[in-house]
Amino acid sequence: MKKALLFLLVVSMLALVPAVFADDAPVAGVIWYNFADTFIQNARQTLLNTAAADGTIEIIDADSMNDAATQTNNLNNMYTNGVKYLVLNNINTAGISEICEQGKEEGVTMIFANTDSPSDEDFENYENLYLVTSRAEMSGTMMGKAVVDYWTSHPEADRNGNGKLDYIMLLGFTWHYDTQVRAEYSVAACEEAGIETNRIGGEVIAEYNRGKAQEMVAALLANYGDDIDVVFACNDDMALGAIEALKAGGFFQDEASFIPVCGVDATVVGCEAVEEGTMLVTALNNPVKLGKAIYKVMWLLENGQEVNTETLDMEGVEVEGHRVWINYVGITKDNLEEAAYDITDPTF
Amino acid sequence: MQTKKFNIKNILSNYALYFIMILMVIVIGSMSPKFFSWRVLRDILMQSSTRIIVALGCLFILISGSADLSGGRTVGLTAVIAGSLAQKADYYIKFWNLPELPPIVPIFAAVLVGLIVGLLNGFTVSKLKVPAFLATLGWMMVVYGTNLLLCNKPPNNSQPLGGFLKNFTNLGSGNIAGIPIIVFFALGMCIIVHVLLTKTTLGREIFSVGSNAEAARVSGINVFKIQMITFGLAGACYGLAGALEAARTGSANSSYGNGYEMDAIASCIVGGCSMTGGVGSVIGVFLGVIIFNVINYGLTFIGLSSYWQWVVKGLIIIIAVSIDMRKYSSNK
Repeated sequence: MKKALLFLLVVSMLALVPAVFADDAPVAGVIWYNFADTFIQNARQTLLNTAAADGTIEIIDADSMNDAATQTNNLNNMYTNGVKYLVLNNINTAGISEICEQGKEEGVTMIFANTDSPSDEDFENYENLYLVTSRAEMSGTMMGKAVVDYWTSHPEADRNGNGKLDYIMLLGFTWHYDTQVRAEYSVAACEEAGIETNRIGGEVIAEYNRGKAQEMVAALLANYGDDIDVVFACNDDMALGAIEALKAGGFFQDEASFIPVCGVDATVVGCEAVEEGTMLVTALNNPVKLGKAIYKVMWLLENGQEVNTETLDMEGVEVEGHRVWINYVGITKDNLEEAAYDITDPTF
Repeated sequence: MQTKKFNIKNILSNYALYFIMILMVIVIGSMSPKFFSWRVLRDILMQSSTRIIVALGCLFILISGSADLSGGRTVGLTAVIAGSLAQKADYYIKFWNLPELPPIVPIFAAVLVGLIVGLLNGFTVSKLKVPAFLATLGWMMVVYGTNLLLCNKPPNNSQPLGGFLKNFTNLGSGNIAGIPIIVFFALGMCIIVHVLLTKTTLGREIFSVGSNAEAARVSGINVFKIQMITFGLAGACYGLAGALEAARTGSANSSYGNGYEMDAIASCIVGGCSMTGGVGSVIGVFLGVIIFNVINYGLTFIGLSSYWQWVVKGLIIIIAVSIDMRKYSSNK
């Protein structure tokens, strides 16, 4: 009985294999760093929907579950599957050159997606190497610029009157590239505008987690409540956690108790907070643009066309060599409608 | 003289952790006197509340001599379930096409789902004889996967859930007479579990199954039933914690509850539970959770990187268990 069940299981799994490769469309293997990530999930769905509607390229995808070792296994599986394109949402940032090297040996077209760029040398080394990603530093700059605007137009924003912008910086993970550039460029934008800054509470690592951010901001408020002028958060979830803690600490009761909180991602709940007036700004890294840009690069290559800004023809997307850059969009109360995107729309 | 010295040593080793905690509070307080305030106490109690409820669930399991790794992910799943049933009618990415529901519905649904997960754990452990560590690991994965699938359901598409009704979020962030409502939940659960464990036949049976399952079986206790009940109760606790976690943060997504099971086990152990079953108390668990939250809160409060929290928490667990072991070896 048990053997029969096992047999059935194996047979049904084997039966799935030809189903995946049923038609002759070239196959793209897509490896995402984490399916549980909202942004990744949206980009993934967009890519799947676009490919299914178009039919030029078939997509199979895999989840690295935020683990570099799993990513390596996924890469090997994709090569074994004989994919023509390999899209890698890489988390093994130290191994970029080796990964490019392997891709070259396997003869696949490599597309790094939403991740650190391979070096110029890597690009010289392999002609079928591409990058599709957002300009990560823009997300930090947008937070900083929004705060500069608020600071210069609201003298009362300096709550303790020390002439410095006293801020809390909610970090995701200190080793995470997005955290690093968002923390760096947001403050840099303030300092470039001539504002002296002062970080409060040291490295506040809330792991991109709303509950954690809420707890940590509550603790910081209890100690530094009178000094904090601004809260920067490296994602919306942490910004929203901070807003909850600030509300409990007496902020956001009226116009006088407003305090600027900045986030990144423009999630649905994040945009709601922007609309409600609690979040000052959030930056949108459009997952639909990412999914479609990835597909369009493969589609152009498949049709023998060159990849450049004109052929790609997407608003806010620029091509430099084999690097495809997607711009962030700053979302405030004034342009909330720009935060909307539709992952079910398969046009590209 | 000799006996007195021995007693002090005993007291020191029995309460070493509490001394460490008091020392930490004094050190943090001397760095910033604001630490000795009602507000800080309230924050710590509030942040401990859902973790206390998870740890109480874990307490049932540990006393009965079992283990449960599914707690954290069950909190995550039930947080999403509760959140999805607590949305405003006009929220524009509404999870279910339902009218506004009273807050009892999401809480009840979360507890029910938690209970079902617990019963599945219990059945797998006691009927299918899968070791608890593996059975609950398996269900933990199933629960997490289910949660990912659920969160990805259109129109939600893996977005964090939002737009909760005020009367629901109030349970997590509201106050009665200056005391957070969520603290009442935690204290109420502490009293219920304490009475259940110490004043009822069921409680005694859970302890005896944990001390020696075979002896309990021989003396006529239905071990299957007790294991089903302990896992079921634990699951229900996780469910309640999940609902309150959603209410407290005003949101929910599939990453909620990650790692809570380990925090809960650590708190129970630090609070005097034995990993081999048959030993444990509600007051110990309560203090165990508070110790960890004083560390979390205190280190953030003085602006120390939260990476240190891992180091300190790890050391606390090692100290707690080594003291425990010394107690047993000196008794021999």
